[in-house]
Amino acid sequence: MAFHSFLYLPFFLGSAVLSYYLVPARYRNIPVFLFSILFYIMTSRQYILFLFITAVTVFWASQLLDRWNQDFKEKRRTLDKDTRKQYKLFYERKKKRLLYSIVLLNFLILLFLKYGNFFGSVVESLLQACGLSADIPLLSLVQPLGISFYTLQACGYLIDISREKYRAEPHFFRFCLFLCFFPQIVEGPIARYDQFGFQLQKERRFDPQQFSFGLQLILWGLFKKIVLADRINMFVNTVFTPSEQYVGLYVVLGAAAYTFQIYTEFSGCIDIVRGSASLFGLSLPENFRQPFSSVSINEFWQRWHMTLGAWIRDYIFYGISFSAPYQKFSKKLRHLFSGHFGKWLNAVIPLFFVWFFMGLWHGASWKYVLYGLYYYILIASGMLLEPLFFKFRQLFHIHPDHTVWRLISQIRTLLFVMVGMLLFRADTFSQAVQMLRSVWTNFSISRLFDSSLPTMGCDRHDMAILLFGFLLVFTAGILQKRNIRIREAISTLPLPVRWGLFYTGIFLVIILGAYGKGYDPAGFIYAQF
Amino acid sequence: MKELLEILEALKPGVDFKTEQHLIDDRILNSLEIMELVTEINDTFDISVPLNLVLPENFQSIDSIYAMIQRVLDEE
Repeated sequence: MAFHSFLYLPFFLGSAVLSYYLVPARYRNIPVFLFSILFYIMTSRQYILFLFITAVTVFWASQLLDRWNQDFKEKRRTLDKDTRKQYKLFYERKKKRLLYSIVLLNFLILLFLKYGNFFGSVVESLLQACGLSADIPLLSLVQPLGISFYTLQACGYLIDISREKYRAEPHFFRFCLFLCFFPQIVEGPIARYDQFGFQLQKERRFDPQQFSFGLQLILWGLFKKIVLADRINMFVNTVFTPSEQYVGLYVVLGAAAYTFQIYTEFSGCIDIVRGSASLFGLSLPENFRQPFSSVSINEFWQRWHMTLGAWIRDYIFYGISFSAPYQKFSKKLRHLFSGHFGKWLNAVIPLFFVWFFMGLWHGASWKYVLYGLYYYILIASGMLLEPLFFKFRQLFHIHPDHTVWRLISQIRTLLFVMVGMLLFRADTFSQAVQMLRSVWTNFSISRLFDSSLPTMGCDRHDMAILLFGFLLVFTAGILQKRNIRIREAISTLPLPVRWGLFYTGIFLVIILGAYGKGYDPAGFIYAQF
Repeated sequence: MKELLEILEALKPGVDFKTEQHLIDDRILNSLEIMELVTEINDTFDISVPLNLVLPENFQSIDSIYAMIQRVLDEE
């Protein structure tokens, strides 16, 4: 059930919201939970079993970890320093054993269902490379809805309990709702318990402003998805269909178009998700913060799919960097290589795992691994060359915050991101390389002015709408960057102007939406992860 | 405190660490710099900052970083 479908928006979400406000405030989690289960069964049927396994194991382990945390806190008050250290070690070991087992179990489920066939093919190739005959059959595995999202959310919660970031949720059904909240399960955002779960513990009364803001966010998300992302989809499909016709300049336009498509689509979906949550009086973390204003790749990933980036930073990057074995290794490393190179080496080793995970999380193929490693190489080389960049800026008296320098850095970052998006969208890595190569070997600006462009899935009417949409999204981004809250600003306008704006928005989506004959509306790209 | 200030100034020259109160919220320190900072703190103060203390609120200012170091020293 797609979020932009007629089945979801008026019927499913409408019924859920109606049921929610019909029951007394203290029981309002019940209809949300029941609708979440219904949503899951409607889309994934019996595979709800895997979600149930994750919920039961993580909930059970969280209760135990929390009890051990409290036990130790109680005991430590009465103990002398040495005994306290011994107890601490004892509890830490016990906690680690349980935490690692449950996280491993849940990741094994994810690995098997999502990556089973990929790992099978890797083993097969390795055996064949060693001269051994191997024929590992392909399994018909079905990926349960949102498994990549809820597994991370559940494991993050358990690690937080183990690190004593907050107390465990005592109610099983409330914890289940945290994992399977229906607007969020398909594409995230990946929330932490202190960002989302604790809100479920409070009674939530009808807040007209939050409700209205939620509807506005859904409308904005629908505009980005149906009017812009689905419209440009035909053009992107044409360019990325392997052919000798669409090379050179078309590749540049295709990469730019896909970058725009994936941004409007993914951020549009997250707007629908966050808007839907607002209708239930809930607030979910943001996932995008003007990513194309970034001056570096590092900054881009702090603004793009922020909840995934933060998850990987907290549980993989910090997990490896601050582990006792790595700290020991790091000490030796910095002893061996002093100065900038030593520091660089110390950082890029855990970063490798970060980007390997980031790539693999997006899909079970080498293409995605290489996509992650592309960003790894960019970031690692940027860090290594930083002293050179610094000297260059000093030599030419360039301040890093100078407008022109920032603009150049933003364009450079955007070009790197477009190459990344091309790797991501191409069917295979070799197709991506071929396409990139054609930019150097077959580039001709005259193609912009021949009559081929309007025949590639977007006619002049579509291009005019896309240009209008681009300007609208661009302006909204600039206003947000300047801390201007658009919905708050709209709420201060006179009533007729406000309703005029809302109706304009609704009619824009209905009239300009890319659906029906001649369009091939795409499913949400991130829903497959 | 003096040693900590030296570490911070070497890590990110040009930042006024004596007055800055939002090192994380204002994106003055990123995750890579936090990693480097913790490694330097561990070496200088001969401690091991545990992961459960690597939280944004513990790195917002020189005072909060210093308070975290004191907490680790007390617990060790």
